[in-house]
Amino acid sequence: MRMLLKISWLNLWRNRQRSIVMIIAVMVGLWGGIFAASFMFGLLDQRFKSSIEQQVSHLQIHHPEFLKDYNVKYYIERFDELYKNLSEDDDVIAFSGRTKVNGMLRTATLTTGVNIMGINPEMEANTTSLNKNIVEGDYPDDSFRNPVLIGKSLADKVKAQIGSRIVLTFQDSERELAAASFRVSGIYQTAATGWDEMHVFVLQDELNELLGYEKIVNEVGILTDDHEKSDAFAERYKDRYPELEIRTWSEISPELAYMQEMASMMYVIILTIILMALAFGLLNTMLMAVIERIKELGMLMAIGMNKKRIFIMILLETTFLTLTGAFLGMIVGYFSVAFLGKNGIDLTAVGAESLSEYGFDPIIYPVLEPYVFVVITILVILTAVFTSIFPALKALRLKPAEAVQAE
Amino acid sequence: MKTVIETKDLTKIYNSSVAPVKAVNKVSLDFVEGEFTAIVGPSGSGKNTFLNLIGGLDKPTEGQVIIDDTDISGMKESKLFDFRLKNIGFVFQSYNLIPVLTAKENVSFIMLLQKESKAKMEKRAVEMLEQVGLSEKLNSRPGQLSGGQQQRVAVARALASKPKFVLADEPTANLDTESAFNLLDIMSRLNKEENITLIFSTHDQRVIDRARRVITLVDGAVSKDEKFESRK
Ligand SMILES: Nc1ncnc2c1ncn2[C@@H]1O[C@H](COP(=O)(O)OP(=O)(O)OP(=O)(O)O)[C@@H](O)[C@H]1O
Ligand SMILES: [Mg+2]
Repeated sequence: MRMLLKISWLNLWRNRQRSIVMIIAVMVGLWGGIFAASFMFGLLDQRFKSSIEQQVSHLQIHHPEFLKDYNVKYYIERFDELYKNLSEDDDVIAFSGRTKVNGMLRTATLTTGVNIMGINPEMEANTTSLNKNIVEGDYPDDSFRNPVLIGKSLADKVKAQIGSRIVLTFQDSERELAAASFRVSGIYQTAATGWDEMHVFVLQDELNELLGYEKIVNEVGILTDDHEKSDAFAERYKDRYPELEIRTWSEISPELAYMQEMASMMYVIILTIILMALAFGLLNTMLMAVIERIKELGMLMAIGMNKKRIFIMILLETTFLTLTGAFLGMIVGYFSVAFLGKNGIDLTAVGAESLSEYGFDPIIYPVLEPYVFVVITILVILTAVFTSIFPALKALRLKPAEAVQAE
Repeated sequence: MKTVIETKDLTKIYNSSVAPVKAVNKVSLDFVEGEFTAIVGPSGSGKNTFLNLIGGLDKPTEGQVIIDDTDISGMKESKLFDFRLKNIGFVFQSYNLIPVLTAKENVSFIMLLQKESKAKMEKRAVEMLEQVGLSEKLNSRPGQLSGGQQQRVAVARALASKPKFVLADEPTANLDTESAFNLLDIMSRLNKEENITLIFSTHDQRVIDRARRVITLVDGAVSKDEKFESRK
């Protein structure tokens, strides 16, 4: 076996140029595959993180009717108890209780529908990254009076600036129309332009007062220490609060989970296609190698090298060819992804503004998933086996008597 | 003296597209231990076919090949591989060696296939290469050797496997006169001193002049079988 390994490895270099071309092809193919997969995972990771951080959190709790009707009167009645439970829960990093109401935003020139979010600035800042997303002006604290935070895209749409007055109109608890004037204290921007256009933030206390409530919470967003724990977490609270609707991120934004599954499938498909294309190149290379060596193979069979050994010899040669390329591809892939994962790929240069409309950041940090390498290794071995079978069978079909006489 | 190979009515018919060709036609011959035989005959007379049959590389249409009391004519292909490995040495006209291995490795290779121990293999490979005058070239690859030297490595390999006989298919065809004589000297010496049974197929007069038995084939049948014991 050691001898066969040696012969196969040395045979690989008999037609140096051809082998090198093929090794480079495999290398570049896998590099591309790894890069594409990492890029995609990076994109989705970012999308996932920004959705979780900026909008969804890991879990949300509502009055079940609120989700259907979106009426402020469906608030969380046992909020004080829930507040206590969440504050004492070790799995909870932060949470934010919000008062939410649908309304209209009016400026001198334009009227548009918005979701008005009454927040406690400190709790919200701990739960979502709203405070970090301020691009102009200030994130309000308790000292502000009538502040409103609006999204950059909304500000552009209604031509509002820091200090602009805007009027928010909504139904109060008595179903009367209430209107109040707010001053734009800050403009925020998340990766999701569409979302920014729909959500404005005001102080919870001020909103409650306008609504005519003491203090109500329609929505609690919870950030836990691990998004994978969300399901178990939800189960625990469902037992304690059967009257509430407790949803995990994957229930709130099923597309987030779905996209990750899709991505895992996509990269396997991409790699399979790449390797299938490479398989034909490898097949061709190995068939040529067999055809060139018919006389030699005939001689080996004549002197008594059995078919099993001949088969293994060709199998090994193909495997070496494939693995060498794959190994190099994985190394180059690993380092390039590691480098770009740290430094990011700025897509704004190639006009990626539109990406943010779909909730993506224009700077992508490719993500190295260790199991990508596991899958690649398996696929590469399958490719090597698949591509070596035909040349090896071709060799086996040779009749020693004819092969040694071949021209 | 001991009979190594015996053929009985050995016949090989090729079914070519035009008409069936009787490449070997009812050949019954005995080869005894220590013989040095040249199979000669015009082109297409069946020399290769005959050698392939007695070498277990091809199966007869009719008749038998008996090697040391074993009838190989009906043997399964997988068994034949093993049989050849253990009993028959081969030297071809060209492409005898594995180009990526050194002379010593090429000679060792056949013993490796025979599952010899590593130490024995080493020793015997060196010995055999010394026998053919290549002790200086143990670590040269075939590409670094002349045609004659390559053929000598092939002879060393054939002998390293301790075969019952050695089949050589026109081993001198690609050699210049000096290399050819050198190879023949070595082979006839081994024949005499080690009592190695040699069977050549050849057109080469230089080989025919050395052989102690010359069998002439015409149209697949034996037309002459001459012995020259004096050439001892
Ligand atoms: N595989 C084959 N299929 C059909 N016919 C064959 C085959 N091999 C040999 N023959 C025919 O059998 C006959 C004997 O061929 P063989 O090769 O044994 O002759 P040879 O004496 O070795 O000839 P040469 O001196 O040219 O090498 C020829 O007529 C040849 O055409
Ligand atoms: Mg011939």
